[in-house]
Amino acid sequence: MLVFAFWVLGVALIVAQTTFLQYLPVWLARPDFVFILVTFIAYRFAWIPGVVLVFSLGWIIDVVAGIHLGIYPLTCLVVFALLKGITAKRLIKESTFQIPLVGLCYFLMQIFFYFIYSVLLPEELPEWSWVVAFQRTALVVVSAIPLFILFNSLYEYIQKRRLRGKAPRRRPPKSI
Amino acid sequence: MILVVVGMLLLASMLGGRFGTPHQLTLDFIGPLQSAVTRTFSGIAVLKNDYIAFWNVREDNKRLQALVDKYLAELGEYREAYSIYLHLQELLAFKENLSFEPLAARVVGKEPAYWYQTIVVDRGKKDDVLEGMVALAPNGVVGQVIHTAEHYSKILLAIAPSSAIDAMIQKNRVRGIIKGAGENGYVLQYVLKNADVEVGDHIVTAGIGGLFPAGIPIGKVSKIKKKQRGMFQEIEVQPDIDFQKLELVFIDPTDRRSMLESMNLSNER
Repeated sequence: MLVFAFWVLGVALIVAQTTFLQYLPVWLARPDFVFILVTFIAYRFAWIPGVVLVFSLGWIIDVVAGIHLGIYPLTCLVVFALLKGITAKRLIKESTFQIPLVGLCYFLMQIFFYFIYSVLLPEELPEWSWVVAFQRTALVVVSAIPLFILFNSLYEYIQKRRLRGKAPRRRPPKSI
Repeated sequence: MILVVVGMLLLASMLGGRFGTPHQLTLDFIGPLQSAVTRTFSGIAVLKNDYIAFWNVREDNKRLQALVDKYLAELGEYREAYSIYLHLQELLAFKENLSFEPLAARVVGKEPAYWYQTIVVDRGKKDDVLEGMVALAPNGVVGQVIHTAEHYSKILLAIAPSSAIDAMIQKNRVRGIIKGAGENGYVLQYVLKNADVEVGDHIVTAGIGGLFPAGIPIGKVSKIKKKQRGMFQEIEVQPDIDFQKLELVFIDPTDRRSMLESMNLSNER
């Protein structure tokens, strides 16, 4: 139920990002909501359901927007694995570290993308700009705060419903 | 004593019927009081009448304001409809002038992130759309179909970094390669330093390579950089199309890719 709910949420975010959010002005840029969701999944979900979610969402966005298929799901899985590995340490689970870590991961992902293209497809290499990279990273960090609150609320709501559904039944008192 | 005075006054008023001094003094005393009360009540009546009239005016004002809002909204709709009409007329004129029968496709999705420059349109294999077909707009080149599904296709925009189109400067037919530069538009490469290029020159497709027909507008030269080293000049080109506002594209149903492949095969034989 939790995995399905977040999968539906991910699909909704993909649709929103590729449709009406595109009408925002260019100077405002557009934060990568799906990336933020991937980082949330890395923080909250276990390995197997997380991999399933992240890979399927990366797949969908690759189909919708990817040129060279496979790069986006691969990037999502790398980010997921990296964050999962880092958050194995209890300290990083604190919310104070989560948001900055999202920004750091996004920044590293841009560099990773650029590296992949420079090695495999140098003729298609886009222009690199440190200013643009930092600007986009800052936008992702700012967008992550309200989105994490929303994702957390949804996660806890579904968890509570699950716990209520599994509430132990009281046995009738035994007659003496 | 008082009764005597009252009796005398009564007698004086009854005898002769004259409006005497006591009467006049009494009137002059009562008159102002009457005047004050009358004026007060007249003011209250006027206020009351004005208040009721004000309510009516307010109701009239609300009714008229609602009519104004309604007509303004209708005016906005008519303006939008007229703008759409002009746009559709332009598209129709473009379609009629084409040498092929184009397939109109609506843009349903756009790329979400920094690294991709693609759009999704609502035409697919069931409409005989194949990979490699070119997409155009009245203003010029849009891009090329890269992936197709049954009902939808993905188009690589010409401004994508992975896009490269044979192009030429329209005024003097100097050739180069137009490469996508994302949000910065295009870059025209492999133009020699001694070529005559100025800001504002029109860049069109060269037609070499066979994918894009010749003469389709691409953009205008916006900046020229001539570095000391190297044979070529760096030319920035501003696209003629506003990709941010793209709603409708035309797909050329000519399968140029298979035509090229068959030509290459026949050459090999």
